[in-house]
Amino acid sequence: MKEICIPISNLGEDEIADVIVTVGGKKMSYSFRVESFPWSVDSESVSTDEDSFHATIDQIIQLRSSIANYDSNWELIQIFTPRPGATHIQVLYRKKNGH
Amino acid sequence: MIRTQELVKVFRTEEVETTALNKVNLEVKEGEFVAIMGPSGCGKSTLLNIIGLLDNPSNGEFYFNGIEVSKFKEKQRTNLRKSNIGFVFQSFNLIDELTVFENVELPLLYLNVPASERKKKVEAVLERMKISHRKKHFPQQLSGGQQQRVAIARAVVANPKLILADEPTGNLDSANGEEVMELLSELNREGTTVVMVTHSPTDAEKAHRIVQLFDGHVVTENVKKNF
Repeated sequence: MKEICIPISNLGEDEIADVIVTVGGKKMSYSFRVESFPWSVDSESVSTDEDSFHATIDQIIQLRSSIANYDSNWELIQIFTPRPGATHIQVLYRKKNGH
Repeated sequence: MIRTQELVKVFRTEEVETTALNKVNLEVKEGEFVAIMGPSGCGKSTLLNIIGLLDNPSNGEFYFNGIEVSKFKEKQRTNLRKSNIGFVFQSFNLIDELTVFENVELPLLYLNVPASERKKKVEAVLERMKISHRKKHFPQQLSGGQQQRVAIARAVVANPKLILADEPTGNLDSANGEEVMELLSELNREGTTVVMVTHSPTDAEKAHRIVQLFDGHVVTENVKKNF
């Protein structure tokens, strides 16, 4: 499979990037979406190393749940690393029937 | 073939303690092709090193072909590794001072395979990887794609049950990358289990299942094809 790289501006929440490619007269359509899931931590609980560890576990549990409950017509492509202190984590999805 | 239970790996220096893997549960069946994805630093390569018996976990259990190996000593790990596992790395990891033939011959030397059998096996695998015309060359005389084909030849020459690939197309252009992925898929279709770490969603599409790691945790598994 050949790859092409298309630069697009940052997607806002609920925005979908539709990419339509025509190869040999055959049109193929791909839809991508960047979703934001909660990634916040109760700051009062992050006071010791041990608490910090548990906070990370809470974040992971929350992320797993968000991914598990997401629209099954979309498949997860990539999880982006959140900035320090970010309240949301971004996840790239691709629509399954667009593949 | 592979099962990890609550696998933990902690790296410690005098000042910092980093949990690279945090209670990872993963199962890979014989003949399966699994891709491991996730951002840099999420623990992908650490997990691959433990699965490949290059490193021991700090905690948890690791079963290889039903045997609990997490507490194995270096010598036990080496014995298990050399007869069961082939490695393919992003930077090829060929030995510059050895010819293509000698690089591919190495795993057979470690297994004490007789010289005549070694010659047959190496020539057969070089032929299969379409690189036999370069057998007297040194790695630096080859293109990246050719070097990776030699690395795959070295990984499979001893007929391992498991191939571990760490970003196998990371240093290749798309045409050579595609060729390498086709070779790995072909080996998998013939029954070899493949576990591959990758950043490439396209490469991951070749796998039966994609495991997403984040901060040392498995966050989701996505079945791509029936296995």
